[in-house]
Amino acid sequence: MAGKLGWIDRRRLVQLLGAGGGAIAAGLPSRVFAQTRKNTLVLGIDISDTITLDPARLAQYTSPMTVSAAYDSLVTMKPGEYINLAPSLATKWARTPDGKGWRFTLREGVKFSTGNVMTAEDVKWSFDRVINLGDQPSQYIAHVDRVEIVDKSTIDIILKEPAEPLLTIIAAPEFVVLERKVAEANGASAAKDAKTADKAAQWINSNSCGTGAYRIAAWERNQQIQLVRNDHYWGGKPPYERIVIRHISDGAAQLLAVRRGDIDAAFNLIPEQIAALKSEPSVRLAPLASLDFVYMALTQEPEFNKALAVKEARQAIGYAIDYDGIVKSMLGGAALRPAHFLPIGVSGSTEEIARQIAFKQDLAKAKELLATAGFKDGFEFEIAYGNAAVQGVTYQDLGLKIQSDVARVGIKVNLRPVDQVNLRTEYTTGKSKGGVLTFWNPPAVENQLWAAAVVQRVAKRVHWNPPEDIVKLVSQAATEPDPKKQAELWVEWQKRVVDQANHFILFQPVYQIAVRNTIKEFPLTAAGWMLDLHGVTPTG
Amino acid sequence: MSRYILSRLVLAVVMALLATLVIFLLANTVPGDPVLAQLGDLAASNKEFVAEWRAKWGLDLPLWQRYVIFLQQLLHGDLGISISSQRPVLQDIRDFAPATLELASIAFLLSLVVGIPLGIMAAMRRDSWIDHLARLISLIGVSSPTFWLAFIMLALFYGGLQIAPGPGRIDAIALPPTSVTGLYLIDSALGGDWDTFRDAAAHLVLPSIVLAAATLGLITRTTRASMLESMQQDYVRVARAKGIRERRIVIGHILPNALIPVVTLGGLAYANLLTGAVLTETIFSWPGLGRYTFRSAVTLDFPAIMGITLIVAVVYLFINLLIDISYALLDPRVVR
Repeated sequence: MAGKLGWIDRRRLVQLLGAGGGAIAAGLPSRVFAQTRKNTLVLGIDISDTITLDPARLAQYTSPMTVSAAYDSLVTMKPGEYINLAPSLATKWARTPDGKGWRFTLREGVKFSTGNVMTAEDVKWSFDRVINLGDQPSQYIAHVDRVEIVDKSTIDIILKEPAEPLLTIIAAPEFVVLERKVAEANGASAAKDAKTADKAAQWINSNSCGTGAYRIAAWERNQQIQLVRNDHYWGGKPPYERIVIRHISDGAAQLLAVRRGDIDAAFNLIPEQIAALKSEPSVRLAPLASLDFVYMALTQEPEFNKALAVKEARQAIGYAIDYDGIVKSMLGGAALRPAHFLPIGVSGSTEEIARQIAFKQDLAKAKELLATAGFKDGFEFEIAYGNAAVQGVTYQDLGLKIQSDVARVGIKVNLRPVDQVNLRTEYTTGKSKGGVLTFWNPPAVENQLWAAAVVQRVAKRVHWNPPEDIVKLVSQAATEPDPKKQAELWVEWQKRVVDQANHFILFQPVYQIAVRNTIKEFPLTAAGWMLDLHGVTPTG
Repeated sequence: MSRYILSRLVLAVVMALLATLVIFLLANTVPGDPVLAQLGDLAASNKEFVAEWRAKWGLDLPLWQRYVIFLQQLLHGDLGISISSQRPVLQDIRDFAPATLELASIAFLLSLVVGIPLGIMAAMRRDSWIDHLARLISLIGVSSPTFWLAFIMLALFYGGLQIAPGPGRIDAIALPPTSVTGLYLIDSALGGDWDTFRDAAAHLVLPSIVLAAATLGLITRTTRASMLESMQQDYVRVARAKGIRERRIVIGHILPNALIPVVTLGGLAYANLLTGAVLTETIFSWPGLGRYTFRSAVTLDFPAIMGITLIVAVVYLFINLLIDISYALLDPRVVR
């Protein structure tokens, strides 16, 4: 009976098996989209972290890009310039006559996407909403006392602490202007009870009511965000009819899609994938210098580790790490390295300054410091890290690299992989027993946000009790009106915290974005929203 | 018979609730703090903000009380609000389930339509080229890691040969069909939008092949083994001795008996496809439940975890119930 195929013959079987392949060719859609594609910008990016597009509730990494395309803030930052602010909805700003706040002159004739003119009332209402909603963004303007309308084109933002920085913070897309009438019609509230009264979440997640170059038309979770041109945009006619921010979670799939031209830019490529694109004539690589940090924090709690409690022993670790090797070999050079928690590009932090004051590998000095610390033969400590990667480099690889570096001066590292949330729980509650490899990215570009954190909550995590003068130095630098003096104070602050040796900045990533040559201008920014979408233009 | 079904149903409900209890306890033993999975650095270090946040999500209540609240909500058909998406869990599941259902169903059909005939043929022509081919296909299907297979398929058919569309459910610049069921094939067909239908169908090909691979292998092997066993039975020998035509022996005598284990396996495999597509969904950027489940788990989003557990438990129990009932129908001894 084995000689017969029975009731299905060979030919039919082959047909059956081939059906899968056949379906691919037969099912391909006709290229009906070719025309639309010319007027549409498609970005390929992992947007799985997007949980809201409400400016007043923003706290994620990728959503600010969308929000900044649909809404404008009073002041903004131009790509590459993170110290001096640029005008946006405000054309001029100065201290209020009594010195207690800031006075903004609003741009004339700015229209919302509905065609209605923006008023001072809209600006005040938008700030009130952020404050009264009390969600995460409100934390960054906790020092704002109130917003006052002076006249129809002037508003004052009055501060509780007049010297505290404001402008750099409100440049972030959390602090943008919404059209009050439209927002309220869809459930928004800026009243004192906004926490419970505001019901706009659902509407505002798939629509927008801003003055930005594009308007949010739809958001299908984990699929795509659709933006359409705002014909009333005050900055001239935006070049694209539509923008699709397409969720592609996998870098390899992004690579294939950007090569084929299904997407115009790919945001999440790892070094190997970037290398594969170097020979691709239709795609170029655009550097996105971030203000993010990848760093190692080191506890100084003697109960956890006697050696780490000694400053010289921690400094020895700082001198043993091969930072250049991390940046050059592991990241292919696509990174910067600041001296401490002030990224290269902000006041008091340049590559030159970092070269002068940051730790660099010096094994002789490391050994000397070990001897001074009383650990001539080295010591042992653990490094904990999460299961994640930055720029394609896993924390595990970074841990292995540091392990082998410090072994050269006789320090033994035990690596301990931990789940991300558990790691963060341990770390932020001060329970980390040695080193922690982790990441920090800025919600707004303001030195004080980082520096104050370093001497307060970040210090607590490593059981460091900072001396009064270092704490004072932060507020002194943050409130110094003269830019040159301010930069000097920040340098001084960095020297002090580098010497303390609780944090070693391993690198500041420079992400590589693959952009097709159908795109001319692609203004990437480190200021927190990644890309000035209104400035993207097509070639030809 | 109806008493049998009723008792199984009651048992299924109890089992589903037990599953949620186990997961609830398990999820809460994790040392990580959901506050730190959800809040930014500044907010998470503000004690007042954190306290208010915990109260908002009921995380300040004792464990037993939280579970009781979960049960109370459940009685009202409410699965609570997801901490990370800040929407009702039920709405999240409703949004993400259709993508998974569509993909898993197509993958399941594919593995049946290919796997069963292949298994039958392999059994009937034992040790021939077709048996070897079937073995090779199932071996590849069962043993290739999903993420690898997914990427190879994408690189070959999308990147290299350029005959298949890329990741996602439809073309990047196409608009999804008006949502009725959430299943793109059905929605676009209902709307008579055949361009979108073709687009959605083409986007289903690669991920459904990848997802079907392992199941296909299992079904092929099981069908083959079961066929071989049935072919040795006395009643087959008798049938053959009676001079019945080979075709009738296969269809009328061997197959019905040989397919019983395939029914069991198929049911469980479908449940597995519905609930276990995380890797395929990741590589193909498929907006389904798998990704949602994964994200909920790593961010300690308790309401979402509970909701998904319940759904998964119900899917498995329902399919098991169907299998049990079909046993009872096929073999009356089970009921007694």
